[in-house]
Amino acid sequence: MISIMQSIVATPVVPIDQLLDQVAPSWAQFILWMPLISLALCGLCGAFKVKSKAPAVITIVSLATSFVLTLMLYIGYEGAQIIPIFDWIQIHWSGGSFIANFALYIDSLTLLWMLFVTGLGTLIAIYASEYMEHDVGKGYTRFFAGVSVFLFAMSCLVMGDNLLMLYLGWEGVGFASYWLIGYFYQRPAAVAAAKKAFIVNRIGDLGLALAIYLIWATFGTIQYDGIATALAAHHGDAETFTTFGGWTVHAIPYLLMLAAFGKSAQLPLYVWLPDAMEGPTPVSALIHAATMVTAGVYLIARTYPLFQLDEYALPTVAWVGGITALFAATIGMAQYDIKRIMAYSTVSQLGYMFLGLGVLSSYGAAYHVFTHAFFKAVLFLTCGAIMHGFAGQLDLRKLSGLRKMRGWKIVSYTMLIGCLCLAGFPFTSGYFSKDAILAEAFVTQGPGFKMLGWLAIFTAGLTAYYTFRVWFRVCCGPVHYEPGDELHGDDPATFHPHAPRIAINFVLIAIASGAIIAALPYFMENKTDGLTGGWVAEMVNDSPAKAGVPGAVATHDAHGDHGAHGSILGMDPHKAMYYISAVVGMIGLGLAFFFHLARRKAADSLRSKLLASNATRWLPTAMENKWYVDEFYIATIRTPLWILGKLFALIDRGIIDGLLVNGIAGIPRAIAKWFSPLHNGAVQSYAVSMIGGAALIVLLMMFMPEIMSFLQSTLIGATP
Amino acid sequence: MADRLWFLIPEFILLAGAMVCALGGITKFAAVRRRIGFIASVFLVIACIAVPIVYGQQDRTHEETMLPELGYYVKIMVTFVGLLLVATAGGLIDRGYERAIGAGKDRFDALRASSGEFHALLLLSLTGVMLICEARDLIWLFLALELVSLPTYVMVAISRWSRTAQEAAMKYFFLGALSAALMLYGFALLYASTGTLVLQEITAAFTEQQENGGLVVLAQVGMLLAIFGLLYKIAAAPMHLYAPDVYQGAASAVTAFLAFVPKTAGMIAIIILLSTIGWEDGLPPAIEMALWVVAVLTMILGNIGALLQRSAKRMLGYSSIAHSGYMLIGVIAGPELGLQAVFVYLFIYGITNTAAFATLASLSRNGKRVDSLEDLAGLYRASPLAAASMAVSCGSLLGIPPLFGFWGKLLLFAAGIAAGQISLIIVAAVSSAISAWYYLRLIGLALLSSPQNHGEATKVTLRWPLAVAVVGACIAIAGPMVLESMMTDAKEAITVPETELVMPSLSLEVDGETT
Repeated sequence: MISIMQSIVATPVVPIDQLLDQVAPSWAQFILWMPLISLALCGLCGAFKVKSKAPAVITIVSLATSFVLTLMLYIGYEGAQIIPIFDWIQIHWSGGSFIANFALYIDSLTLLWMLFVTGLGTLIAIYASEYMEHDVGKGYTRFFAGVSVFLFAMSCLVMGDNLLMLYLGWEGVGFASYWLIGYFYQRPAAVAAAKKAFIVNRIGDLGLALAIYLIWATFGTIQYDGIATALAAHHGDAETFTTFGGWTVHAIPYLLMLAAFGKSAQLPLYVWLPDAMEGPTPVSALIHAATMVTAGVYLIARTYPLFQLDEYALPTVAWVGGITALFAATIGMAQYDIKRIMAYSTVSQLGYMFLGLGVLSSYGAAYHVFTHAFFKAVLFLTCGAIMHGFAGQLDLRKLSGLRKMRGWKIVSYTMLIGCLCLAGFPFTSGYFSKDAILAEAFVTQGPGFKMLGWLAIFTAGLTAYYTFRVWFRVCCGPVHYEPGDELHGDDPATFHPHAPRIAINFVLIAIASGAIIAALPYFMENKTDGLTGGWVAEMVNDSPAKAGVPGAVATHDAHGDHGAHGSILGMDPHKAMYYISAVVGMIGLGLAFFFHLARRKAADSLRSKLLASNATRWLPTAMENKWYVDEFYIATIRTPLWILGKLFALIDRGIIDGLLVNGIAGIPRAIAKWFSPLHNGAVQSYAVSMIGGAALIVLLMMFMPEIMSFLQSTLIGATP
Repeated sequence: MADRLWFLIPEFILLAGAMVCALGGITKFAAVRRRIGFIASVFLVIACIAVPIVYGQQDRTHEETMLPELGYYVKIMVTFVGLLLVATAGGLIDRGYERAIGAGKDRFDALRASSGEFHALLLLSLTGVMLICEARDLIWLFLALELVSLPTYVMVAISRWSRTAQEAAMKYFFLGALSAALMLYGFALLYASTGTLVLQEITAAFTEQQENGGLVVLAQVGMLLAIFGLLYKIAAAPMHLYAPDVYQGAASAVTAFLAFVPKTAGMIAIIILLSTIGWEDGLPPAIEMALWVVAVLTMILGNIGALLQRSAKRMLGYSSIAHSGYMLIGVIAGPELGLQAVFVYLFIYGITNTAAFATLASLSRNGKRVDSLEDLAGLYRASPLAAASMAVSCGSLLGIPPLFGFWGKLLLFAAGIAAGQISLIIVAAVSSAISAWYYLRLIGLALLSSPQNHGEATKVTLRWPLAVAVVGACIAIAGPMVLESMMTDAKEAITVPETELVMPSLSLEVDGETT
């Protein structure tokens, strides 16, 4: 606990004028504009009803341009800088201001995120160009327009220089996600999933909106450098902030947390992500595995100093992350739909990332985001290829021995690479990134962090199990398959799976290679003195999340002697974790091998045995039914709201509409009815009314003084 | 004298146009006959272009009219809206007859063709409005007003096949004659009380009377009666009774004309008459109270009358009554803000109201012109363009914020508040809220509800009116961009040059020459 408070450190403060002095590469703004241009062109394609793959080409080219520009920006990177685009909102008044410029804030954290967002975005767009081809001329343009919207919003979120731009992007990715989950809008499940994702995200968005307001109220600015300057002026001491009596600095991290948990699908707001798999698979891979769901991690990393202002903020993040990781992994173990397993696995892995942030390993979290982006993308894309080839079949009980089938080798082995990384198999990228988080749980002192560490190690074992459950079931064993229900008119009896072609295979290999290479940054040398952790540590060190980089912070060195450092089994946690997680991973893998390849019947008999006994029946039932969380939400939140809504509707219809609106509207109508005899159509009566009316008014006006005095005299005469 | 003629050049152009149209309508050449509308438009455009040139050439400092700069604004407004009105009538007059001739089924008979005279009358009526601005004495004012009115009676009756149109024309004519009589009676009393017909001299007489303790009763009664006669032209209570019947009976294109041109004429005439008294020291209480009562009655009766209607044309007819009520707020509020708001509002109202009627004019159902509200249900299916322009023009008439109508209403209400007429503004706001009921109903019918099952679907049969509707809708959306310059122009229109005010004796010779 003390160590967390101690690590409130001087965040990298670069004075604004110094930032502006640097030559701003204004071309960098095209990273942001390219997806927007692509959207406009896709819109034109839609308007002219283009029936070719043009939208895909447009999107791929513009996203690739974005990626190349990001790469150029990375190569030329020398330090944090602001690239102004245009003045957006500038309100000044005496004693305050509200400034939100449309400008890019480029530091290494931004670049880390943008590199994999645009890179993976490009690759997945290539994959989708083949995957979505049966929709050419129908929804093809809509799909790529949605991808462009997403990339624009995500770039806005990551690259914006203030929280309002982040909010713009935050809402934008939410909207793009809604758009793309609901892509198959004829399917009720997809529409429901899209709505669910949107609504659950709104809860988080509320937190973000409130947090932005409180940040502005507390620090007087919503620009990142302004916040850093304000924090530095207070030396990071929470007690010195006295806005609204000083509670705001303690509320801000929890509100930001709410936002992050919504977008990154953590307990209790994770329920939308598994349902989001109703969208096309490239969308699941891009938005719901690799990029958008890491926005929560980015948000916390970006505002890391704010989390250090409250003693319990980061431990809360750690605990929520750790529990979500375990919880989602148990659900993932008992699912049969491989895409859904991957979805729960994503929730679980995001939990690891939050655990990493919480235990002061922002470096580990960022590294895990990076590796996870690759291996989860490849896993989703292989799932997509299988779904594409087997007419929508995703049930792992109905697919087997894919490895031995013609044309499915690349899919099987790239999937294996993804599985190895996810399971944390020794010397894969996932192994290193997960260890960086797990070890830090034992290093950093915090409430129950050791227990969390053991919990996370146990979860790692579960992860290895459910990951290889999928691979052994689907890719190994005897060849056997049943087609799904999206046959497009084919006869199920003579069904032949169609193996993926060049675009899909290319992308699978590319991303799988990326997943392997992602282990390299761990071994790369650090340019900064005293830093450990390779390239990713370097990329995080230059950002507000610096406090969570090993070796970057003076306080970290203070407990550098391993006595206070914490230890596992008498060893240095970093070293011990290599062995522990390797062993745990192997146990999980071995179990999966036994139950799902060597003796597949044993799994079923174990399940039936568990179900037979009264004492253990709850376990498989609850796991298969996702711990009844959806049902719980429906009972406690949806139903009461529904009843309340009906009640309001009743009040609205009966009292507001019936009595007030129609009642009041009825008065003029009644008056109108009263006057309508005047309009009887007879010209004589019109003439009489006209002249009579005119004469009446003229007479009244002319004799007004007399009438007034008469009225006065009678009234005065009557009153006494 | 030459000065005055110079400023009448736009009127002469329109007069020439009326001649050409009248003659062109009875030529043997079908090509000419079918392009009468086009010819009329050309003359309108020329007149419109001529206005800035004419007014740019000479200064008006030595003019005798009440509001010397008024013509500049009004003439441009009238020719512009007139263009829209001509296009609204496009293809309506003589359509079947010309087709029959073209197909060889019928022979051309000059007595049966009415396209030429329709357009000639239309141009003459517009000329009348322009001439009002140049009025120097009551006789001129009266003649100009009659020049506006008389052609409109014929235009209503020009739908010869329609009995409702004949009935409407009769009513319109008889009641119009009645109102003209009322107005003349008022003029006579004004003459009796001041001893002159020249407006500037009347002003001088009024100033003298006010110095001696207020206007004489005869002058007040005369002014009131004259205004009540003019209220017929703007369809304000209690002289509004004819409006729904006539508006419904006439063809939509003619209704659009009736809802704008006589209303503009009446409004300008009222303003000219009142400016002889002047707003500086406040209108005499009797006149102000009378106008107040009229405005309140007009707004309330117009808006609640519209609620009950099942005919779209009748509904818009009632709504145009209500709009006169709004404009009277500006008249009561007086110069600078009030009159400026009235002139801006007239322009906006003219364009959007024409657009609304033009939408109706473009549609037909079961071979008949659209009239009832049911015909409009589900219009968006038949023609999204027509439905959208209907919705936008109704939204503008209602005053939904970004649209043009909102700004017009805002100016009027602001002028009213600046003049301290809070109670009047409250009534206006409430009745404006009531108007939301039927405008939103029109919008909802066009955009949201599903078409009627029985009978044929409504469809667009005339293209020109639809084009007018679309142009009107576009102006309603984009108009606020030019609002500021419009306000400047309107402000200039009502500015009286300083030297004008002192004209004690403009000598009898001028009087003698004109009368």
